Amino acid sequence: MTEATLVDVFTTRHAYVMFVLLASIGLYMMIANQNLVKKLIGLNMFQTGVFLFFVTTAFVQGGSAPVIPPDGSGGPFVSPLPHVIVLTAIVVGVSLTAVGLALIIRLYTEYGTLRADSLREVMQNE
Amino acid sequence: MTMITPLELTLFVFVLITAIMTALFRDVLASIVIFAAYSLGLAVVYTFYRAPDVGLTEAAIGAGITTILLLLTIAKTTRPRHDETFEKINWPAAGVCGLFALVLGATMFAFPAVGDPNAPAMTNPDVTVYYIENAYQETGVENAVTAVLAAYRGFDTFGEAVVVFAAGVASLIVLGREVFA
Repeated sequence: MTEATLVDVFTTRHAYVMFVLLASIGLYMMIANQNLVKKLIGLNMFQTGVFLFFVTTAFVQGGSAPVIPPDGSGGPFVSPLPHVIVLTAIVVGVSLTAVGLALIIRLYTEYGTLRADSLREVMQNE
Repeated sequence: MTMITPLELTLFVFVLITAIMTALFRDVLASIVIFAAYSLGLAVVYTFYRAPDVGLTEAAIGAGITTILLLLTIAKTTRPRHDETFEKINWPAAGVCGLFALVLGATMFAFPAVGDPNAPAMTNPDVTVYYIENAYQETGVENAVTAVLAAYRGFDTFGEAVVVFAAGVASLIVLGREVFA
């Protein structure tokens, strides 16, 4: 395989570049936003970036969705395996979000704040 | 060599704008609503990449259930009011994330082009090629995604169900006070 140039990366590896951008924005939300709910949204955004990465690896130019008739005609088909992994990961991701939000509600009832910085302050004063 | 299509470009611009808006809006409710639009945009992207089942799941779970959970959380807690519309940009955090993007971006040169039929993932005879050739004969299911999900990787799906159950139990334990009070 020949090395790609910078222009190639943006015109032919566009979806992978998109994964990098979405994961970075998600990471930024997790670090910079002080509101815990927004931190969780950032975590979800990071996840969706990774899902995009997987779905892109499965894609093949001119391919169709992997519903294969018994005689095997109609190819090429995109790879089914990354789709399965992403389906599993979406469900696991929403479970993770649910537990995180439950913890956030509990923190709010205990400490009366959703901001990470004031939460740290309140916990130090205890 | 396959180039980026105008449809992909439009979808990516939409997804990127909604992502940045989600990060920068100060109001949590605004962030949640824009994040739902972002999920819907990504669902269309997945469908474009011939993953309709992933697109449907993302639309139902990402844009639907996650949004409802987030809205329930701010309904049960608080939605702080602000005078400014946008957050101030946290430059140290942006620097760290820029560095992260650069390090990841540096690996992009080694990737096969999007949709390349000769990419290693597509030509591997034990995985993609095997599933596409044998899924119907071995499982009797036309949809190869269903065949892999329920048959070849059935234990994986079982593990997923265990995770969902554990998450439900954990949420009930954490919220125990509110649920049983």
